[in-house]
Amino acid sequence: MRPIAPASALRNQKVSAAEHLAYDPFVLWLEGVCCQRGGVPVIDTVTFGVARSELIVVQGEAGSGKSTLLELAAALRTPDRGAVWFAGRNISTLQQASLPFVRRNIGYATTDPLLVLEDSALDNVAMALAVRGETPRRALELARDALAWVGAADLEERAVSTLSAGQKRVVALARAVAGPPSLIVADEPGAGAGDHLRATIVTVLGAARDAGAAVLAATADSSLADRLVELGGRRIHLEQGRVAGAPAVGLVPDFTPAPTADLPPVALTPVRDLEACVEGSPARKGPA
Amino acid sequence: MRAAWVLRTVRRQAGLHRLTVLAAGASFFLLALLAGTSRLGARVVARWGGLVGQNVHLLVYLGDEMDEGTSRDLAEILRRVPTVAQVAIVEPTQAFARFKTSALSFGADGKTVETLEPAYFPRSIEVRLIPASDLETRADDLAKRLRGVPGVVQVDAMGAGLSRLSAWSSFGKRLGAGALIALALLDVVAFVAVFVRLRTALARRAAVLVQLGETTSGIRLPSGLWMAVAAAIGGAVAATTLSLLWRPLVARIEHSLGILGTSPLPALGRAEVATGLAVLIAFGMALGCFATPVPQSDSHG
Repeated sequence: MRPIAPASALRNQKVSAAEHLAYDPFVLWLEGVCCQRGGVPVIDTVTFGVARSELIVVQGEAGSGKSTLLELAAALRTPDRGAVWFAGRNISTLQQASLPFVRRNIGYATTDPLLVLEDSALDNVAMALAVRGETPRRALELARDALAWVGAADLEERAVSTLSAGQKRVVALARAVAGPPSLIVADEPGAGAGDHLRATIVTVLGAARDAGAAVLAATADSSLADRLVELGGRRIHLEQGRVAGAPAVGLVPDFTPAPTADLPPVALTPVRDLEACVEGSPARKGPA
Repeated sequence: MRAAWVLRTVRRQAGLHRLTVLAAGASFFLLALLAGTSRLGARVVARWGGLVGQNVHLLVYLGDEMDEGTSRDLAEILRRVPTVAQVAIVEPTQAFARFKTSALSFGADGKTVETLEPAYFPRSIEVRLIPASDLETRADDLAKRLRGVPGVVQVDAMGAGLSRLSAWSSFGKRLGAGALIALALLDVVAFVAVFVRLRTALARRAAVLVQLGETTSGIRLPSGLWMAVAAAIGGAVAATTLSLLWRPLVARIEHSLGILGTSPLPALGRAEVATGLAVLIAFGMALGCFATPVPQSDSHG
């Protein structure tokens, strides 16, 4: 176990995302985050981090706060208290206009995915890559790979409006892992999926993790959580918005800084935008 | 998002929303046509005002016994009448020249016209009164008094012509303004429909892009661009239509009304067309951008 302090101190220094990851492996770090909905606490002082090439599965019953936690991780929601760090930047204090530069580095898949219905599955997946700055040709190439990866190559040219709910979820998963981005956030990835598809989902998330992405998945399904843990993932139990069991500090794995040359390559090009944006704009007065 | 991807999105969105693009193009065409027609219409009305009877309200024909000096004295007296705006003496040669121009424009035989002599036309005085609602009454009064002056052969108060002209002019102006207002309202309705349709069609795409991390300007740019293209095409077609059809149409109307103008028919200048197009493109860009709703995804608690 290691104390959080050195890593936190590192985060306050002006270093690039690549330099940051050479010393601090955490792509995402949630520090004492709290979130309320209608005055009711949904997330209560949660602290944990997801390092690159790490898979974390958040397991909890319906209403335990998994989806809210994942929205915080995907920069789609700002905590009422605490801080969310992404690649060494406290994104809780960023201006609204700076958040897109964070989101484009995160692949986000939900049970009710937002897709452009009139576009093809291929275009939907490629759109995420285009937002990250890929050329149309490269984006389409990577999108085809991602669709093939999740076993949906035959859906490429089909308009999303003609797909079933399950097929839409598969396309959303392909979009989330395409690239892959620095962080993949998957909310109930196995919901409504058959055995074969669940096996594919587990394989894809594991492969994305192996490719260097940090993977954060949430599920109420213990069998899916078990399969992800068997793949080398770590499990966090969420109960009524709190991490059950070990204290937050206990979730942080041992870490010894390694020289940059020994680290596997991670697709970090888009993070440059984040740095430029963060350095170019004043920090927002965020929650305490 | 790279420029290549933005252009790809513009092309694909324009293809997906063909009807909206067509409706937008038609709305911009109508807007440009209305603006151009109003501008040119105002110029044509001004030209007609100057041409119709040269703004003459009273024609005083003088006999041969009235020499040039006496004619000038009479003109001078008329100039001092309070309601008179302008007085001009028309010599027989001038009157002949005008007649010749008119006759030839109506297709009269040139040889026949040439056989006439300028001396056949009497010397006359043209009187223009200060415009007011009692113009006809004042013209009649002055005509009555002039008829008693020795040397004055005939006075034409142009009563019937004046009242008809004023009635037609007022009717024409109202009709033109009414038609323009009706078309402008129709255009406003079309623009509102395009805006609402676009907003509905692009809402989901915008929400998806927000989740994927696209910036507000990046989300709005493609729709702004293709609306700007629709505006440019609509405006260019309207400018071409006006340049091709306006002059022949006005010439035809003038011919049928017997209006003879020597000055060229009004047209839109290059700078006016360029300014109009620039304004239209900016309007299209703004319409496209603001029709794209960008939801605020970030929220507390």
